[in-house]
Amino acid sequence: MSRPPGSRVRCSLLLLMLAAHAAAAEEYSFDASAFEKKPFELGGYLQLKQEDFALNRSGAFYKLGNLNRPQRDTLDRSTATLELIGKLRPGVGTFDFHTHSDLQRDQLAHDHSNVLYEGAYSIRPDPGVTLEAGKRTLRWGKGYAWNPIGFVERAKDPNDPELSREGLVMANSDLIINREGPLQTIAFTPVLLPVQSDINRDFGAAGHLNPAGKLYLLYYDTDLDFAWQGKGSRPGRFGMDFSRNVGSNFEIHGEWARIQQLARPVTDSAGRIATRTENATSYLLGLRYLTQTDTTYIAEYYRNGTGYSEQEAREYYQLVDTAFAQLQQTGSSMLLPKALSLSQGAYGRPNAGMDYLYFRAQQKDALGVVYFQPSITVMMNWQDRSYQLTPELLYTGVKNLDLRLRLFLLQGASLTDFGEKQNSRKLEFYARYYF
Amino acid sequence: MKKLLCLGLFLIALPAAAAMDAAQILQKVDRNLEPESYETYRKLIDIQPDGSRKEYVLYTLKKGRDKVLALFLSPPSDKGRATLRIGDNMWLYLPDVGRPIRITSLQSVTGSVFNNADILRIDYTSEYDAESVEEQKDVYLLSLKAKTGEVAYDRLKMWVDKRALLPVTIEAYASSGLLLKTLHFKDVKDFGGGIKRPATLETDSPLYKGYKSVMLWSALKKGSFPDEVFTLNYLPRVQELRK
Repeated sequence: MSRPPGSRVRCSLLLLMLAAHAAAAEEYSFDASAFEKKPFELGGYLQLKQEDFALNRSGAFYKLGNLNRPQRDTLDRSTATLELIGKLRPGVGTFDFHTHSDLQRDQLAHDHSNVLYEGAYSIRPDPGVTLEAGKRTLRWGKGYAWNPIGFVERAKDPNDPELSREGLVMANSDLIINREGPLQTIAFTPVLLPVQSDINRDFGAAGHLNPAGKLYLLYYDTDLDFAWQGKGSRPGRFGMDFSRNVGSNFEIHGEWARIQQLARPVTDSAGRIATRTENATSYLLGLRYLTQTDTTYIAEYYRNGTGYSEQEAREYYQLVDTAFAQLQQTGSSMLLPKALSLSQGAYGRPNAGMDYLYFRAQQKDALGVVYFQPSITVMMNWQDRSYQLTPELLYTGVKNLDLRLRLFLLQGASLTDFGEKQNSRKLEFYARYYF
Repeated sequence: MKKLLCLGLFLIALPAAAAMDAAQILQKVDRNLEPESYETYRKLIDIQPDGSRKEYVLYTLKKGRDKVLALFLSPPSDKGRATLRIGDNMWLYLPDVGRPIRITSLQSVTGSVFNNADILRIDYTSEYDAESVEEQKDVYLLSLKAKTGEVAYDRLKMWVDKRALLPVTIEAYASSGLLLKTLHFKDVKDFGGGIKRPATLETDSPLYKGYKSVMLWSALKKGSFPDEVFTLNYLPRVQELRK
């Protein structure tokens, strides 16, 4: 006996509704028991990156970096990176670790590295007290692209400020006091950072214990940090920073640091190198602003007291030109070792100039595509007006996968900061899978 | 004359009495939604117009009227992120960046329709003054005004279930009068310990047509936490608080 068509339709609709209801119930189910703390946790990411460089063959740093190598106009580099981040909870404390491994290949070299970024054991005898020893990355300061008070850390890459970095071996602790009133939080972080021939070698001269400390205050809704590092492997230094929300979409921040009696090599175009020892004052002022249409603007001005003025940098670039002219004419150059040595020190830092402007605009969910974030970043050496422009596309809409495409366009005349870099353009793409 | 004076005084006192009622209702709503100090797990689901979803799981602590902490447990790309709110101050700790950065209430740490003020919500009475209440059939309609310019929404219209004194729907408005989003509270559930409240919150926004975000609660219970936990220095170690 067949059922009437209307009945079949009703039956189907009922089944569909039941299925839809079941799906809806399933859609929003949540059981927290799957997220309980475990004695061992491991995560991290695997990243594949492709970089295509347009080399700046007339640039000082290209010439110095490619001495005695086949000369090229382009370079394609592939890098695979694996970072493992984990926690082990034996007994009363916690052991945190973070490893970094990469494999790099381009037309000139194959390279690989395995580095322990962090590995530290910490205990908390009291909620307000943490004691820790091991290799740890402490990041101090409020600046987005630069941190003048980052006294006990490796330098940040302003092209990738959020990139993880290798830490330093240290013993440190955190002492926190929270209270009512305008001064809500007081936190003190003392640090001991030993430098020996086999520990923290790149921090400075060996044979010092290097005490440092930071005092944090939350005072009248303003973050305040006072930082200090005693004289030892590096000259003594002190500084402070602040950060405050001045509206529901507007934040301001700043840093100030003074390094005492910093010895700075300065050369003239003839290769006469003098060591100038003087106090160096650096500071940074910045803001972050979010518009109603979800555009975030970040702007910073950075005065690098350890950097080189336009004239000092110009003299150095002229020295490099003279050294290579000598090499071409005579087959050897007395100036070249000097230029090379300086390039591996203070003159070769990513931002060796004295005044920088940083501006970044990023648009959330652009073109109506959720998790699609285009942005544009400009970094300018304010003295010589050379700059780097970086358009970027980021998509995070696929589960556990980040896709980022960036183009670096460097612009500057001869004898300027960005005009003398190793490359004039770089196209970079990476796919990063988190697990 | 005396009668006229009494009538005048009554008329002057009337709005104050009504405001008092509205404030009392709002206080009840705050306590019925959550104990003043609690811990809970939450899942945030962002649903795109094509049906694709992105989910986050957060472990959340709240202490007093204006301190909230949330730790991301999932997805792997966000694991270890922690956000802290003390009154109008908000920070985000990213493990890779390694230090807390200030964020603002209108941003969204998840990139969803829920902004930071929704994800790190503190008591309504801490942020809003209850200006008036209108009694409707099964609900009270509260009109709330932000106490300061730093609050994410300038005005809220809150429909409150008369019997349970729990919010049913909230409309959030900008100072321009623009409707920013609507929050729908659903699925009232008994969490134990005398806590009976909606376990699901859905939101949609005319600014994000076709998108929807959902927040689910699980294992909500009263808690007692040291003040030191709600500080920037503690953010990298919040994971250790979980049982």
